[in-house]
Amino acid sequence: MKRTYPAVALAAVLALSACSTKAGDSGSSGADGSGVKTDKGVTASEITLGVMTDKTGVFKNLGLGITQGNELWAKDFNAAGGACGRQVELETVDHGYKADTAKTLYPQIEPKVLGFVQLLGSPVVAALKQNIASDKTVAAPASWSSELLDNQYVMIVGTTYDLEIIDGLSYFQEQGLVKDGDTIGHVYIDGEYGKNGLRGSQFYAKKHNLTVKEVKVTSTDNDLTNIVTGLKGDGVKAIVLTTTPAQTGSALAANKALGLNVPVLGNNPVFDPVLLKSPAANALDKLTIVASSVPFSADLPKAKDVATKYKATYKETPNGGIPYGYAVGEVWGTVLKKACENKDLTRDGIAAALKQTTSASTGDLVAALDFSKAGTPATRQVYAATPDASAEGGVRYVKPLFEAPEAKEYVAPHQK
Amino acid sequence: MSDTAVKAPPAAPPTPPAKRDRRRLVKALAWIALLVVLLAIPLYLDAAWLKAGQYMMIGGVGAIGLTMLVGQAGQLSLAHAFFLLAGATGYTVLSGPVDDERVFGLGLDPGLSLVGAVVIAALLGLAFAPVSGRLRGIYLGVASLSLVFLGLYFGQSAETLTGGTSTGRSPEPFSLFGFPFTNGGPEIELMGVPIRQAERLWYLFLLLTVLAFVVAKAAVRSRVGRSWRAVRDNEAAASVMGVSVTRAKAGAFAVSSAYAGLAGAMTVLWFDILKPDESEFGTYGINISIAFLAMVIIGGLGSVPGALVGALIVNGLPQVLSLYSADLGWFSGTGDGALTPILVSSFVYGAAIILVVLFEPGGLAAIGRRITSARKPHLPEEQDK
Repeated sequence: MKRTYPAVALAAVLALSACSTKAGDSGSSGADGSGVKTDKGVTASEITLGVMTDKTGVFKNLGLGITQGNELWAKDFNAAGGACGRQVELETVDHGYKADTAKTLYPQIEPKVLGFVQLLGSPVVAALKQNIASDKTVAAPASWSSELLDNQYVMIVGTTYDLEIIDGLSYFQEQGLVKDGDTIGHVYIDGEYGKNGLRGSQFYAKKHNLTVKEVKVTSTDNDLTNIVTGLKGDGVKAIVLTTTPAQTGSALAANKALGLNVPVLGNNPVFDPVLLKSPAANALDKLTIVASSVPFSADLPKAKDVATKYKATYKETPNGGIPYGYAVGEVWGTVLKKACENKDLTRDGIAAALKQTTSASTGDLVAALDFSKAGTPATRQVYAATPDASAEGGVRYVKPLFEAPEAKEYVAPHQK
Repeated sequence: MSDTAVKAPPAAPPTPPAKRDRRRLVKALAWIALLVVLLAIPLYLDAAWLKAGQYMMIGGVGAIGLTMLVGQAGQLSLAHAFFLLAGATGYTVLSGPVDDERVFGLGLDPGLSLVGAVVIAALLGLAFAPVSGRLRGIYLGVASLSLVFLGLYFGQSAETLTGGTSTGRSPEPFSLFGFPFTNGGPEIELMGVPIRQAERLWYLFLLLTVLAFVVAKAAVRSRVGRSWRAVRDNEAAASVMGVSVTRAKAGAFAVSSAYAGLAGAMTVLWFDILKPDESEFGTYGINISIAFLAMVIIGGLGSVPGALVGALIVNGLPQVLSLYSADLGWFSGTGDGALTPILVSSFVYGAAIILVVLFEPGGLAAIGRRITSARKPHLPEEQDK
């Protein structure tokens, strides 16, 4: 027995030295017959785009929706002929919303893809920030913090959290729900998402002389009753939320139960259609959601088209991730075609094409996007929507795309 | 595990010296062979697998520290994640640029900063000595848990040091005597394989893990280790024998924290970012403290090699299964009730803990010892590994 170990180990060493190392497997690069330059993730017939999503963690519903939106887009894009005579292929991995898993999966997927059509989750995007910059992989994060815009390879499709809140508060004021000099509450998760939203309400408050009662929570606090009680004592006229859907439900239920009944503003991640079946269902009418991508049920030709195709292909309950996932695909399509015109499908070429993209149109799934200014959000427009159990996807929108005057003046953290 | 009061070793007849020497030689050869394999791995495996291996090494270094504290000195600690954060912040602040207006840095050499991070964590462990010296068992466990929450608030509020929970801050890439452990610097090739960031970090982590392992083995075998075990088994008896109980306890806590600090500095180098958690679960949260505890229980309390094997299972399984599932399409289910790599590995290591507690309290180390000693009598000095 005791002699077997060294023998096994030696055998392993010998076996290792006998087989070849991983040397010399670098990707081919150069130009093809038609003069289009390529490097990673592009062959003569295919362009591979990466999807790093969460199919199994806390954001699995959203992750699945966005991924299905990406897939629907790829199908349509290929049916329309693709780009440069090449078909788009998606390479999908699931990181379960764990940054450490994502960090390990990234080097595995990175050599195979030209860029990423989806990177889900703030912790994941933060952990991969350096990799994206050093590998020059253009990536669309499913995280809308304007803090991410100091990285030129990050392509945020839609409005950032801070601007969503500014637009939303302006909509409240227009509706007469908030007046200059009022006190409002803002409950936020102390992370990328919540902090960025808070920047928005602080900016708006300065402009309109509002007092903001800031309440920091962690994403694991699921009972916000005490917090709402405190805000009631402060005499708030409205509450802003940048929280998880479970916390949103709790806050709204408390808002009704305590007889506070003030309007509540949240952005895209605060709402999940699941809330319509929760105990908080009858308290949801006070919630207004501002978001830059349309609800699944939106009354727009493109959104209807996506919804029809979705129902023909998938069986899951739809959510807002589907039109968004499709919209990101559309933007990628625009960038790919631009890169094709430039005859440069390398990663550098994609980054350059992104810079030249001043009006990526998605059929109004998202406002028109301008990526030409570094550090600046590509759009400042949002939709306003309200929960509605009778609508597919659980929300119907109450105000189409608009941009508040305050949002025009706002300077994002990395805006030059 | 050492000779506990329950299972005294059978008195063995002394082995003839020649036989003993041969056994030592075989053992040394086995370790050397293992090291050669580990040194050769970067030439054969892709960056993703190296990344997973590095993550296991981080777990290994931290688990060695905890197994000495819990297994050798008998002090339950759930504060390991806090010391990880201390080491991570220590390295990032010491090596950080001086002229950044958003965050504070001292601009020291990264190598020096790594040592500094370990020292800072050790000092924090010492500072906890007044508490750890007075409490025992589960009470100490709960008291040490408070440090994790302290770390959570520190991470959130000391933004100039930690970079805050929303963006964090980038650590200075590691370099030693001017040699960078990144893709930059001199182009090196080994047997036709370019040695870049992933490979360089692999060798760095391997060096740190080997150092941690050797130092721990030496500590366990020396007077220090004996005093820890004496304190663990019976404090009164230890005092009578001339062991200073408070010093032994404080020492164990400091050493274990130093190990956690090193693991923390490795963590930021691995992630390329220092980002404190926004809730009590995350990179430096309760879940990490529990994962380390799982490693040392599975590996066998007090066993240094066991801690490494435990880290291989607890930190390695989710990573390896995720890589395989991406490659082979295993566990690729979605939605509720889907079997995923993360879920499967949680089941596996949960089951491993239960099996260990029920059937082999000595953990994998005891099983390993039983296999290797199947054909030889026990030697007293081989009891404490």
